[in-house]
Amino acid sequence: MEIIAGLLNGFAVALEPANLFWCFVGVLLGTVVGILPGLGPPATIAMLLPLTFNMNPGGAIIMLAGIYYGAKYGGSTTSILMNVPGESASVVTCLDGYQMARKGRAGAALGIAAIASFIAGTVGVVGLMLVAPPIAKFALSFSSPEYFALMSLGLALVVLLAGRSIVKALLAALVGLWIASMGTDLFSATSRFTFGQMELLSGIDFVVVAIGVFALAEVLVNLEVREETRLLPVPKGLRNLLPTMQDLKDCRFAFVNGSVIGFLVGALPGGGSTIASFLSYGLEKAVSRRREQFGTGVVEGVAAPEGANNSETGGALVPLLTLGIPGSGTTAILLAALVLWGFKPGPLFIPEHPALFWGLVASMYLGNVMLLILNLPLVPLFAQVLKMPAYVLYPLILGVSMVGVYSVSASMFDLLLLMVFGLLGYLMRKLDYPSAPLILGLALGAGMERALRQSLMMSEGKLSILVSRPISAVMLSFALLVLLIPVFGKLNAWRLRALEQG
Amino acid sequence: MKSPLNLIALLALLCAPLSFAEGFKPARTVDLVVHTGPGGGSDVLARAIAVMVEKEKLLPVRLQVVNKPGGAAAVAAAHLAEKRGDPNTLGLFTGVWLQTPLVSAEAKVTLRDLTPIARLVLEPAVIAVKTDAPYKTLAEFIDAAKKNPGQLKQSGGSNTSRDNVVRQLLQKSTGARWAFISFPGGGERIAALLGGHVNIMVMEPEEAGEHIRAGSLRVLAQVTEKRLPSFPDVPTLKEAGFDVPVVPQVRGVVAPPGIPKENVEFWQDFFRRLTRTPSWRKYIADNQFEDGYQNAADLAKFYDEFTDKMREILKDAGVKTVR
Amino acid sequence: MEEGTRKSGDLWSGVALAALGGYIVVQARQWEYLGPEGPGAGFFPLWYGVAMLGLSALLIVSQLRRGSARGSAIAWTRLGRALSTWFALAVSVALFKPLGFAISFALLTYFIVAVMYRRPLKTAALVALASAAGFYLVFDRALGVPLPVGILGF
Repeated sequence: MEIIAGLLNGFAVALEPANLFWCFVGVLLGTVVGILPGLGPPATIAMLLPLTFNMNPGGAIIMLAGIYYGAKYGGSTTSILMNVPGESASVVTCLDGYQMARKGRAGAALGIAAIASFIAGTVGVVGLMLVAPPIAKFALSFSSPEYFALMSLGLALVVLLAGRSIVKALLAALVGLWIASMGTDLFSATSRFTFGQMELLSGIDFVVVAIGVFALAEVLVNLEVREETRLLPVPKGLRNLLPTMQDLKDCRFAFVNGSVIGFLVGALPGGGSTIASFLSYGLEKAVSRRREQFGTGVVEGVAAPEGANNSETGGALVPLLTLGIPGSGTTAILLAALVLWGFKPGPLFIPEHPALFWGLVASMYLGNVMLLILNLPLVPLFAQVLKMPAYVLYPLILGVSMVGVYSVSASMFDLLLLMVFGLLGYLMRKLDYPSAPLILGLALGAGMERALRQSLMMSEGKLSILVSRPISAVMLSFALLVLLIPVFGKLNAWRLRALEQG
Repeated sequence: MKSPLNLIALLALLCAPLSFAEGFKPARTVDLVVHTGPGGGSDVLARAIAVMVEKEKLLPVRLQVVNKPGGAAAVAAAHLAEKRGDPNTLGLFTGVWLQTPLVSAEAKVTLRDLTPIARLVLEPAVIAVKTDAPYKTLAEFIDAAKKNPGQLKQSGGSNTSRDNVVRQLLQKSTGARWAFISFPGGGERIAALLGGHVNIMVMEPEEAGEHIRAGSLRVLAQVTEKRLPSFPDVPTLKEAGFDVPVVPQVRGVVAPPGIPKENVEFWQDFFRRLTRTPSWRKYIADNQFEDGYQNAADLAKFYDEFTDKMREILKDAGVKTVR
Repeated sequence: MEEGTRKSGDLWSGVALAALGGYIVVQARQWEYLGPEGPGAGFFPLWYGVAMLGLSALLIVSQLRRGSARGSAIAWTRLGRALSTWFALAVSVALFKPLGFAISFALLTYFIVAVMYRRPLKTAALVALASAAGFYLVFDRALGVPLPVGILGF
């Protein structure tokens, strides 16, 4: 079987001492970059590109890829400990991860994130290895109507994220949609809701809003009272420093869920780790027995999205390596790197450069193992951060938030936006508006609108295109089902009440 | 004791105008501002330039890339405008820098407000369809579009991008009509074409290269003045019978306003030398760019012509222009 | 939060959101709704603006129907503490340009520790200096991440 032969050759390449070294450097750098909010793999890889010219391309791509998937491991750290999402894919991890930390289970959260990342990352590589060409073909059949259906499914999850008041959740989501449409309209070059500010011409960065609404608001809420004692219960004993067997059992489905959804969504050009993590979280919540507890600190709520954003890496490499199509910012710069070294990723890349491809695949297996070994021991260490007294921790969180935002594009305007959204997030907390739907609306809004308009342009104005194509019809029906879950829930409760009284 | 000092002072004074005549030399790291984030088109070119400068030892100092994304080049342009008088900052502009101020009132800095230095490259394009499409020439596609107005589809960038400009010009000159669907990323556009969701695409020769080699795409025509060496058998637009102007995608260099003349001359000379180096020529050939070098004065003229033409085209396309 | 406060909060936020919805609809009408090539820039905003108007009207109505309980005391102290922290943060950001990140952040931390948490001034100063120095050393020096730089050069 040529796959096995290829893989064995790949390991021969990957286990060369030089390549092992570069793999380690890459994943280490990636972890550090991932932990820091704001600074992301694209900028890091761009900075390192000139250094790679003197390296052999095999070692160089192994290292750069290591930075790419390594960063996904570290992204959950500040999300869990401080409610500061490190990058857009880590936003969903804040929802349950931070709540687990508040209950003293930070170690378990961090640990399960690392484990889920390992499992899903490995599955992603397996997928890349086994099914890349057919998945690539499948991904090509996905276009705007299917994207619209996918995003509708995601937005329907708002209903599941609702909490007590559906009206407020929907309103928050609508505000998210509004923020998403700020900027220059792609199709007509019209400026929408830019208030005369040129910085708003390209819209508002998702991470800025997320850090403001989650982290800043959290700090403001906590500063309402003067905590005399340490604010978070210290993790007692080993039970809370690492995930327990029970945790691992609870996450069985989440591991599968995250791996599969992340990989599939990552393979779609235009899909990304943000939507992958939202979808995976939503699916987990939909099928979970303890659905209502999501958002209060359930461990599957961390495992699913963290897994998704790791297997997304493997998925994103599918269109890059089989078709030469970059799906995201990081794959775009990896493409540029490959071109700079003289390779031309395209349909003939794998057949013509098997050593490079299989060497990369093998190194990704090794890299994931290295990352698990690197990250797990760090978990109890990081969990100790929460031992700091409140008056040290909260200014620290504020500093991390500001540096994170500023490091994205060195823009004072972004800091101004951070302040505005911090205040907004605080007011939302006081008035009982859930913030997750706003973030979801913001994440999906632009994509949904674009997909809908593209679809209507494709069909010359006929909405039927959304249901005449099988994939989008199926997904839209799922979305409808998701919207009806609470209705079923209420009907069921009503039915039970009637039975009791009758 | 005084006379040697006086002599030295005199000599120094005499030498001063000589060193002025030698011209300005950058005293600190030179910033090359781009409007994209890392990995974007301008960023990649800027980093390649930085590497070339090191390799060919063209500057006594380092050249570093500064990313100022946002506002569709408005933020980068404004940043340059703020650096008035600073001779150690440059900007790598592309067509977007010219177009955004035309359509967005918020983008207040036009290229006219900055100091032109040089035009570097012109990026040609090719018009491609899937191999299993029934069109073997561009004329066949146009005929099909005429028979089914509005039903054929092209994937491309925003409606002010070069892809749409080519479409507008062709539609105007042939009377055919087909839809234009905007996708924000090159990857999505190609995916739409390969997946059969659109019929045609204007793409960069580099993007098309591998797919042509693999047999999945066919090129109908090239948007260039002369045939590219890598596409010797593909007709240019004119050769294919379509008398439309070749609107190029340009990349060049500008400097902040208020730069003294000798700095402009230094940079102009520097970029002229850059475009003559072997590494530059290799880069151009590898990426299938056209050498579009123009000095500062010609660039200024080009800018005016280009903006006027673009304004006309956008008006025809129904896009509101604000300047 | 107290029942009464929540109710009046709901009312006011409902009104604010209705106003936003109205603004969005008005803006959306200025743009193209349906162009020859497909939905225009005004299509989506119109719909979510209308949805916003509708839902906020629902919110307002449901609050009015419940009959507004006398708005009991809003927890002013808590609100005041949070808002003063926010204000201090805003001032700190405003000081980035002249004073740079390190000094502004040190001042912010000092404020939070000394005033918000009423720790002894020495502790406050220590924490402020240590964190500011920490951020500066880790981010600016070790990692090369840009931090706002003031006229003092750091």
